[in-house]
Amino acid sequence: MSIMEYNGGSVIAMVGKDCVAIASDLRLGNQALSISSNFQKIFPVTDRIYLGLPGLATDVTTLRERFRYRVNMYTIKEEREIEPETFAHLVSSTLYEHRFGQYFIEPVIAGLSKTPSGGVKPFIAATDIIGCLNFAKDFVVAGTASSKLFGVAEGLWEPDLEPEDLFETISQSLLNAVDRDAFSGWGAIVHVITKDKVTTRTLKGRMD
Amino acid sequence: MDHFPTNWGRPRNDAFDAYATHPIHQRPYNGPKDTFADGVQHTQQPIVTGTSVLAIKYKDGIMMAADNLASYGSLARFKDVQRLHPVGQYTVIGAGGDMSDFQYIQHILEELSISEISAQDGHELGPVEIHEYMSQVMYARRSKMDPLWNSLIIGGFKDGKRFLSYVDLLGTTYSASTLATGYGSYIAQPLLRKAVEGYEDTLTEEQGRKILEDSMRVLFYRDARSLNKYQIATITGAGVSISDSLHLETTWSFAEGIRGYGAQTQ
Amino acid sequence: MASLAHPQQRQFNPYSENGGTILAIAGADFSVIAGDTRQSEGYSIQTRYAPKVFRLTDRAVLAVNGFAADGNMFVKKVKQRLEWYRHAHAKDMPLRAIARLIQTMLYARRFFPYYVYNILGGIEEDGTGAVYSFDPVGSYEREACRAAGAASSLVQPFLDNQIYFKNQRPAPGTSHPVHLPLPTVLSIVIDSFTSATERHIEVGDGLEIYVVLAKGRNLQGLEGIRGMQELTVTEDGERVFVVRRELKKD
Repeated sequence: MSIMEYNGGSVIAMVGKDCVAIASDLRLGNQALSISSNFQKIFPVTDRIYLGLPGLATDVTTLRERFRYRVNMYTIKEEREIEPETFAHLVSSTLYEHRFGQYFIEPVIAGLSKTPSGGVKPFIAATDIIGCLNFAKDFVVAGTASSKLFGVAEGLWEPDLEPEDLFETISQSLLNAVDRDAFSGWGAIVHVITKDKVTTRTLKGRMD
Repeated sequence: MDHFPTNWGRPRNDAFDAYATHPIHQRPYNGPKDTFADGVQHTQQPIVTGTSVLAIKYKDGIMMAADNLASYGSLARFKDVQRLHPVGQYTVIGAGGDMSDFQYIQHILEELSISEISAQDGHELGPVEIHEYMSQVMYARRSKMDPLWNSLIIGGFKDGKRFLSYVDLLGTTYSASTLATGYGSYIAQPLLRKAVEGYEDTLTEEQGRKILEDSMRVLFYRDARSLNKYQIATITGAGVSISDSLHLETTWSFAEGIRGYGAQTQ
Repeated sequence: MASLAHPQQRQFNPYSENGGTILAIAGADFSVIAGDTRQSEGYSIQTRYAPKVFRLTDRAVLAVNGFAADGNMFVKKVKQRLEWYRHAHAKDMPLRAIARLIQTMLYARRFFPYYVYNILGGIEEDGTGAVYSFDPVGSYEREACRAAGAASSLVQPFLDNQIYFKNQRPAPGTSHPVHLPLPTVLSIVIDSFTSATERHIEVGDGLEIYVVLAKGRNLQGLEGIRGMQELTVTEDGERVFVVRRELKKD
């Protein structure tokens, strides 16, 4: 059996108008057996960057700590907050360092980057388990429900969604995708990142 | 089985160990036989093979091409084999894959043609019927796990209508305005589609021949199981015509400077 | 002495997968059955037009997806059985009977299955739109909608959301419609296939949408549909139409 399906879980991120959203399910499983309905896979990196880590749960914990360490080192050295683009490359190189003995994680990055004019620009990216970056303009998906997420998101997403509409779009995409995936579900969490705040909502989902 | 031992039949002496002299596991087995236990001799592998067949629709009908090589593994074994075969007055069948299976197909099509002619009912087999028949034969054989190891392209022209269709050892069928089997489906098909799609009703015979010749040349350059001797068939309102063997002109001077391509000097 | 341990190497694989996706949605008094027209094997496109959806009668349409050779043979045999039924009973077989026939025919090949997913759509004898979906060995169920084939995992959750309104709560004081109107269904079908085409390499080239209307139903909802073609044979009964659309070819 695939190691990517050992614990299950899925993440999706979407771009909106001057905002981004990232969402994941809350399941932790041991193959077909569900263990927890409150397993966090998305972690804040800075005030404006969130990182989703679907995949092998032990590596979720490891990578989460590893990225915390590397972002802290970056902040101390550079004396400034890391930008989403830079963080994406940090994720990529961290994973590629383990090219021949991978972490079984497909990271998803969502954030707002600063523009020279003082505004913000939405940024999302995802990589495969060895750090191949995918900068998408619309949405990125990862995890055991990825094919389902692709299908629903491709049908529901549209450009320039306002934060509330983006929340509804990403929530519907995730919920309907994980309901068709045996390894994902058991509730969901959604973060919508805007210029001046991050809105986090926990969603009820089917428990079967 | 009933309860009367006399009705059970008497085992032959050599099959019945009356004194139990054999260890139990070596006793002769007289139970029912599993049909598949000995492995029915089916499922072969292709032995003497032909490579690509190409076909296109054009203004006047269908044009097909295939080289004259039948390979035995990597050995160019037979260099004067016809892989384009006329069936009746309206159809040409081109074959890649096992050449002995293709000869068997020619044989059954010959028998079919004879029985159709014998009927003298005014019906003639056209490409549609030949293709339907061949697809049923190929599918039936794959279902017996004893396939005819070929990819066939059937082209024809009857009642003012062009016909071009494919069938293979699995019984898979499809039609399109350009078709190619084997290596040709990777190398020649993109070239054919670019040249033909959208121009099916305007392409002249001369243009069609050029497209097929160019494609056959590209195949000869890159397909190691191909030959620079090939034939072209046309099927039009005027009937079937299969050319004599044609020769492909090739240049190899470019290979000189490429290490690992041309002859090595050091 | 018969030996049971006879190593026999058998590498011929009688199956293949030819890509594509099919989908059907039932309405109150209509049924929509659709499929793309690409046929592929591995990374090669064999043809851009190979139909996967077939009119069986004026009230039944069958979509087949999986191994194309098995699919074509299966449709051929179903049509043959329906013709025999017509000759014996002087009428077309009812939809629920066709569904049971298909299950029997699929299960007959339980140990050498037709490698095909079937979706049967049409009008029931009581005039309601119906969709029956089957697995390759004949398990079947009547449903309101179903996607099958290469991109089924992309399309089915989208349909759950848009047809069954899964994970959606109606506005206070309202309720979700049980059956959607025909124009809405057609839009959802087209959106499903454009999405599947965008994200799945085996889906694309062309789209064929069959629409079956119940007896006596007017053409309401089909007026604006470009290039619709009627395939009905009998009079004063159910009516069948086909709509063709282009899909991306890359």
